[in-house]
Amino acid sequence: MAAMGSPGASGTARAEGPAGRARPHKTRRPDATKASGARWQRPAALPPFLALLLISRVAATGTAVALLAAHRVTDDDTLLIAIVTTYAAAWTIAVYRWPGVTGRPWTWVADVAVVHALLWYSSDWRSPFYLLALSSLALPAAHLGARRALIVGFAYAELFLLTGHFIGPDPLGLGSQASLETLAIHLVLPVLLCFGIGYAAETLRTLARERRRGERLAIETERRRIAWELHDSAKQRIHAAHLVLSSAAGGERHQVTAAVEHAMGELGAASADMDTSLAELRSPLEGRPLDVALRERAAQLSGISGPRIEVRGSLPGLSPLHAAHAYRIAAEALTNALRHSRAAHVVVDLRTEDGDVAISVTDDGRGMPSSLRPGASGLLAMDNRARTLGGVLHIEPSGDDGGTRVEARFPLSASQAGASA
Amino acid sequence: MIRIVIVDDHPAVRAGLETVLRGEPGMVPVGSVSDVTDLWPTLYRTKPDMVLLDYHLPDTDGLAVCRQIKRQLMAPSVLIYTAYAGSALSIPATVAGADGLVGKGVPAAELYDVIRRVAKGERVIAPIERELLDDAGLRIELEDLPVMGMLLDETTEADMLDVLGIDAEELDRRVERILQRLSIEVPRFAP
Repeated sequence: MAAMGSPGASGTARAEGPAGRARPHKTRRPDATKASGARWQRPAALPPFLALLLISRVAATGTAVALLAAHRVTDDDTLLIAIVTTYAAAWTIAVYRWPGVTGRPWTWVADVAVVHALLWYSSDWRSPFYLLALSSLALPAAHLGARRALIVGFAYAELFLLTGHFIGPDPLGLGSQASLETLAIHLVLPVLLCFGIGYAAETLRTLARERRRGERLAIETERRRIAWELHDSAKQRIHAAHLVLSSAAGGERHQVTAAVEHAMGELGAASADMDTSLAELRSPLEGRPLDVALRERAAQLSGISGPRIEVRGSLPGLSPLHAAHAYRIAAEALTNALRHSRAAHVVVDLRTEDGDVAISVTDDGRGMPSSLRPGASGLLAMDNRARTLGGVLHIEPSGDDGGTRVEARFPLSASQAGASA
Repeated sequence: MIRIVIVDDHPAVRAGLETVLRGEPGMVPVGSVSDVTDLWPTLYRTKPDMVLLDYHLPDTDGLAVCRQIKRQLMAPSVLIYTAYAGSALSIPATVAGADGLVGKGVPAAELYDVIRRVAKGERVIAPIERELLDDAGLRIELEDLPVMGMLLDETTEADMLDVLGIDAEELDRRVERILQRLSIEVPRFAP
């Protein structure tokens, strides 16, 4: 039955919000830098709920038209077919164009009124428009919650009985058992339908709320874990370094040397701890896969200064820390190539090789200078990042006629821990 | 020679303290443990003069451990060593019977000074500000108020039992309750 498709349909609608959010982007628009904003908007495709609602509506209309065509219901069957087809088309377009109206009570009332008028005009409560009438109850039932949906169902059953009494044949005056059975079905269906849809919708709403709460809790837990990490690791190490250094002030030379070494060890470890926490706190990827983030960066850079930048290949999911460091290495290499090499063409290559992640940036520019300018901290930072990931950074000429190739390699196995997080 | 046992859950802090204490004449670290279960055997074995106790321990509250230590016969002095040194800890530390309270951020010279003063029997806890006292008074039960007052005033336990007309167990219970009410929020997370 077309109208009976609606409970599932509206149920899907409640789940649509969270499910749509969790779904990863399959196709990315170039403006996905605003990904966090775009992800919360209504997807361009029709939500499953509305799709099913429209299908059930079209099916109910089709049934009505078929019944009108098959039997002579009134003298104006042709007119009725025209009206119901036009109305169904207008309704479909309106819902498709402005899905927001499905939540407005006045649209429900108007819909029920129009459909009921058609039912009235067919001058028999065993009307071809009965399915259409049922389908007009789906929206209020889905929005109102189980208890109020049940009330709507009963109210509609009453209204139907009253309508039947006026337009005939008198529902309570029928003698035959078959007609009483038909009447019973006509009265019970709206009640069951409304309650079913209302109950399912309410359950799904509760689920969605629970899931949102779970997400908030997860974020809160993460925040506390980072606070704890900063306090428990970095801060403690800095305290220790401070204490040891302060004890050396005015001491003998060997004491000072020992204290400085001790303190440097602690400070190095503290800085590594903080790197970890900060990378997690402030991932440059904002949840995007590495290759997507790099393509966007490449698009930004080539837009400014001209050279063609190509990003080839992709990588398996990396942990947030690894992805963040890998991104920074590649982004820094790209910036260097554009700033210093006068390259016309830069290739960023992402691949896995012999259990390693290999990220290389190759340009066709004028190559590296024979001596580095003082304070070339970018290269050092890249090297440090590669080491942090347990890997290495190679910088070498890319060809005979100049050009530079920067490659970072680090083990894949270690970089996938917590990749799903 | 001041013999000191260090209690801290972070290895960096333990190593730092050991280095620093060993380098200073007149004091020596005789043990360092990361949690309470290791503490008791170490205390019995080494019989230290002082316990340098981290306030923020993974499973227990440093002040509860402090009370347990001070309940021993011939108890060592307890110096609370904390990253949350603010004056907010002054009242709970005093109530728990600590002999000193020092922040983890102080330079070594100040730490040496505090250790020496505590070893001489002085109580080295920052003076309690009026607002803190008022606030604490509001947070604890009314019947616990005299207990806190006397503890802050360093009244002996015998005198307290006498004045309040309660037995030692009841006093214990009340002190515990005061500490619970005055406990300070620290970031905690069980990974």
